[in-house]
Amino acid sequence: MSAPEIVFENVSKFYGDVLGVNRVYLRIPPGLTSIVGPNGAGKSTLMNLMCGLISPDRGEIRVLGIPPRDPERLMRITGYATQFDAAPRWATGFDFVVSSLLLFGYSATLAERLAWAALERVGMTEAAHRKVSAYSKGMRQRVRLAQAIAHDPQVLVLDEPLNGLDPVVRAETIALFRQLAAEGRHVIVSSHVLHEVDSISDRVVLLANGSVIAEGDIRGVREEIREHPSQYLVRCADPPRLAALLFERAPVAEVRMVEEDGALLVLTRDRRAFSRALTALAAGGVDIESVVPADENVNAVYEYLIGGGA
Amino acid sequence: MTARFRLRQAWIIARLELARVFLSRRGLWVYGLALLPAALFLIHGADVRYRLAQYRRAGVAPAAVLEPVHAGMTEEQVVQAAGKAPEDRQWRRRKWTEREEGGKRISESKEVRARRMVYFDGQRRFIFYFEDGVLRDLHRVQLMNFQEDREVFAALFGYYYLRLAIFFGCLGIFLNLFRGEMMDKTLHFWLLAPVRRDVLLAGKFLAGWAAATAIFSGGALAAFAAMLWPHMGAEGQAYWQGPGPMHAFRYALAAAAGCAGYGSLFLAASLWIRNPVVPAAVLLLWEAARGFLPALLQKLTVLYYLESLCPAPAPLDPEMPALLRLLLAPAAPLDPWLAVAGVAVFSALVLRAAAAGVRRLEINYSTD
Repeated sequence: MSAPEIVFENVSKFYGDVLGVNRVYLRIPPGLTSIVGPNGAGKSTLMNLMCGLISPDRGEIRVLGIPPRDPERLMRITGYATQFDAAPRWATGFDFVVSSLLLFGYSATLAERLAWAALERVGMTEAAHRKVSAYSKGMRQRVRLAQAIAHDPQVLVLDEPLNGLDPVVRAETIALFRQLAAEGRHVIVSSHVLHEVDSISDRVVLLANGSVIAEGDIRGVREEIREHPSQYLVRCADPPRLAALLFERAPVAEVRMVEEDGALLVLTRDRRAFSRALTALAAGGVDIESVVPADENVNAVYEYLIGGGA
Repeated sequence: MTARFRLRQAWIIARLELARVFLSRRGLWVYGLALLPAALFLIHGADVRYRLAQYRRAGVAPAAVLEPVHAGMTEEQVVQAAGKAPEDRQWRRRKWTEREEGGKRISESKEVRARRMVYFDGQRRFIFYFEDGVLRDLHRVQLMNFQEDREVFAALFGYYYLRLAIFFGCLGIFLNLFRGEMMDKTLHFWLLAPVRRDVLLAGKFLAGWAAATAIFSGGALAAFAAMLWPHMGAEGQAYWQGPGPMHAFRYALAAAAGCAGYGSLFLAASLWIRNPVVPAAVLLLWEAARGFLPALLQKLTVLYYLESLCPAPAPLDPEMPALLRLLLAPAAPLDPWLAVAGVAVFSALVLRAAAAGVRRLEINYSTD
């Protein structure tokens, strides 16, 4: 039997004439997956489609085998903290989480216990009995997160979950995501702040203009886009001389001087050959201080993919 | 999931929604609509009671003495029979008369001594007007007329509550159940619950109906009580020990049925149509034109059933223009329980159509 996955098969969604997402094929395994893209790339659309808040115009979605148009089954295994910063203002944080749990059929006592546990996990117990309307943006974010995790879902979908959190809470929240992912759940996080997710994700899905332009682990994504040159930052004693030597002896596409660093930014399409040539130059007496891949983070990959890079 | 579990979910949704519907700032005007008649009856009742107390303090003359007073009697005869009037005012005025002389109309005036004496028999005011010491004119004014007040209430319930207040109140309450949450950007919380969309619809309808019924049946009953309040003497007691409670129940039932009928229609409209004001206007016209419709089509109006639930038809002014009379004329009455069943079936059918709408509902806060 194949591993339980979230599957998008040729999914498209339009808002009138405006493209939401277009021909998306995705398979998301358990673990922490980040959906990354600039504003308007289609991240929220993808998440809303996954949880049934909107319906695809074309294609099919299955969340661990359940179609999103069946909320009765889907939302039992799924928790979704949306980006909408509007929580019911009539309720306290505690009431808000409890009331959503009552709809699962839990008794009032169990719902209260689960709500309290969830609020504890997001560090909101002190403010639990205050009205949501009196919460700061970060607190509302956390109470929505508590609501999403309170019923112990298998799939956790979080739209920009780190927005508005202070650094300490942010670190705790990231640790919570990692823990949930390590337990074998699907944790899907969206962000447009790239450095935020590249260090925490098992996988990334890169979106631009409603299309998935790459997916996989960060290195895998890099491999996937082989047609783009790799970038290396090479520090050395004599950059102009090394640049000349590289053009002569290594398969480089471009070499740029990084004036302030005393370094070279080298672009190559053949990393192995480049690595061999560089080793030979160093062995031949060229003073090379360090060689660092300049693009093995999401930001660099993303820059390539959407045309901001090479 | 069992049907019982889904019913429980609908009940939980209704409970959670109820507070929001009752306390919604957007819906506060609905209370004004529902309670306005009660406030008017209260003011009227308080005014009548105040005036009664005032007249009683001034002095009461027996009706048996006042009844025989007739035009042509002199001031002295009246005072001798009824005693000194509690209200007595005299003044001089110029009286104009016309006569014909030789084919010409001639106007003449002469000064007369006018006197107005007002007596009170405990229920009615007797107003006697004298000129030069002779009774020319007399009026009896009933301060409290129970029959008339009941007719006023029947008219108010039929024309105001059923045709306007419940219609527009339900428009406000039921449109807010989904559209209001869409505007507040909170609807997704419901759609992300492990609840079937039609169960969500049922829960929200139940909350809207319970709130609307409490507001409008409560408002109608409050107006009914305020109407009865000044009459709680022998006449009022007799009514309350006779048909009164059943009348009150039927008014409350008609209001509740109206909330179900109009509520289901507006809930469905809010799910199917982006701007429900247009269908609301069409519905208002359709309901208003019930008098012109053939018998079969009349059954497709909510008003047809509601009028049959009222204990008394709303009275029609005989001097009303014929067209208006046709519009307002009550339909052939239906058995009340058949009327309740009619509204229930009508609402169920409309909610079934609404369920299809809620299943295709999408969250798109930016365009709503």
